[in-house]
Amino acid sequence: MKIEINDLRFTYPTGLEALQGISLTIESGEQVAIVGQNGAGKTTLVRHFNGLLQPTAGSVLIGDWDTKITSVAKLASRVGYVFQNPDEQLFSKDVGTEVKFGPRNLGYSKDKTDELVKRALTLTELSDKTETNPYDLSPTWRKMVALASVISMDTPIVIFDEPTTGQDALSIARIAHVIAELRREGKTVVTITHDIDFCAENFERVIALSEGRILLDGVAANIFGQDEVLAQTYVDPPQLTRLGKKLGFKETVRNQEEFLTSLRGTSDSE
Amino acid sequence: MHERLSFFVKRDSALHHLNPLTKIVLALSIILVSIFSPWYWTSHGLLLVVIVPLVFIGKVANEYFTSALRLILPAAGFIFFMQAFFQPIGQTVIFNFWFLDITQESLLFAFRIATRITVMISAFTLFLLTTHPSELMSDLTRRGLPPQFAYVIISTLQILPQMQAKAQTIIAAQRSRGLDTESTFFKRIGSVVPLVSPLVFGSLVEVEERAIAIEARGFTSKKAKTSLYEISDRSSDKFIRWGLVILVIISIVLKLWLS
Repeated sequence: MKIEINDLRFTYPTGLEALQGISLTIESGEQVAIVGQNGAGKTTLVRHFNGLLQPTAGSVLIGDWDTKITSVAKLASRVGYVFQNPDEQLFSKDVGTEVKFGPRNLGYSKDKTDELVKRALTLTELSDKTETNPYDLSPTWRKMVALASVISMDTPIVIFDEPTTGQDALSIARIAHVIAELRREGKTVVTITHDIDFCAENFERVIALSEGRILLDGVAANIFGQDEVLAQTYVDPPQLTRLGKKLGFKETVRNQEEFLTSLRGTSDSE
Repeated sequence: MHERLSFFVKRDSALHHLNPLTKIVLALSIILVSIFSPWYWTSHGLLLVVIVPLVFIGKVANEYFTSALRLILPAAGFIFFMQAFFQPIGQTVIFNFWFLDITQESLLFAFRIATRITVMISAFTLFLLTTHPSELMSDLTRRGLPPQFAYVIISTLQILPQMQAKAQTIIAAQRSRGLDTESTFFKRIGSVVPLVSPLVFGSLVEVEERAIAIEARGFTSKKAKTSLYEISDRSSDKFIRWGLVILVIISIVLKLWLS
């Protein structure tokens, strides 16, 4: 499902102009990472995608629905949103009920709900923990419960707000696997992140925000090549990209694979 | 990031520079004098001659008159009408409605009580507008108030806005999961558990973390503590405080003597 944002502006009641004219199209099935310094407007932007915030000016279209005239409860069937802190949404006495909450709100049939819950639990590797109380799990696993409880809603668009914060390598790999699986299913994934390595390894398109405006928008390799522009919003390119640049690679490399290819290419030509 | 729950307005005025204790004594003296003074017009006089000028000296006129319109006037007005109608005193009936009589005496009495209420609320509004809560608490702790008591007051002022922000996030998160918080009554009843339980649980966890955090900084240590802020307590403060205490004593003595 396509997201179309047209000259979006948003001013908080305090007078803070968080978004100052953002125009953006995210195609169906795209994987997009949003980066930028704290206060750049990342969360404010994605909260417009499911109607939690209403534009001060401009418009946001989710498929053919205008978020201005569609309720959040209805938009929830198209846009799933995983909040940063799982503790601010988990309330059920066991993981199974928690994951079932979303699809049940959307009014899916019992069979479909059960199937979606099972799939979400498998994807997040929670299948053996369905009976556990979420608060008996470690924070890393609670994050997975929060992920599962949104994935089970089977929305064509899924938003993650800083999914990797405070997670260990294993958990980050699990989140990356979930995102890859969503991509395979043709879903649109939008992720806010400060974890630039995670961003480089999992996303094709990167949008850098700065002070309520789009600073850069494009293919990850291009974005990471422009370290001076990125510095304006306090984003450092991934370590391997910087190392590659120092080694004088012609291409901007993003991950180990590209780095090794470039490295072999240089040594071969010598 | 979140504002504290307080009325304090940061200005640079003589009133702001007074010691917090002096300001409490000032507010209490105004209230006590208005209660004990034997003369009818004392409260009205206090309002016009003491409180209003102080509001301007404290540079909080805008804030004071806004709160006066919103809070003090309705409260005083309500009390005025209740007293005027239901005070069974006096013979000179001015106005009669069904079984309710308004007499000249009850009207005068109501006017006095309403003004007294206005003076009481105004004195405290003035105090709250010009005194920062933590300044007040550190000053009182320095004077021997148990720090636990100060902590309860200050943390309540801080936690409420934080809980409010947290509640907003929880509502947003659950609405994103399709929770209907806007339609029928029964649907809303059903949405209480998903909203309240993360809030209660999260707040309990926060209280514990807060307790550990302040203990890590030696909260219950018996040693004398230093303060980051120095709160001025000049000799003029002491002078004002004693002067006010004497005024209160005079008004009590006058009351006893004249009645």
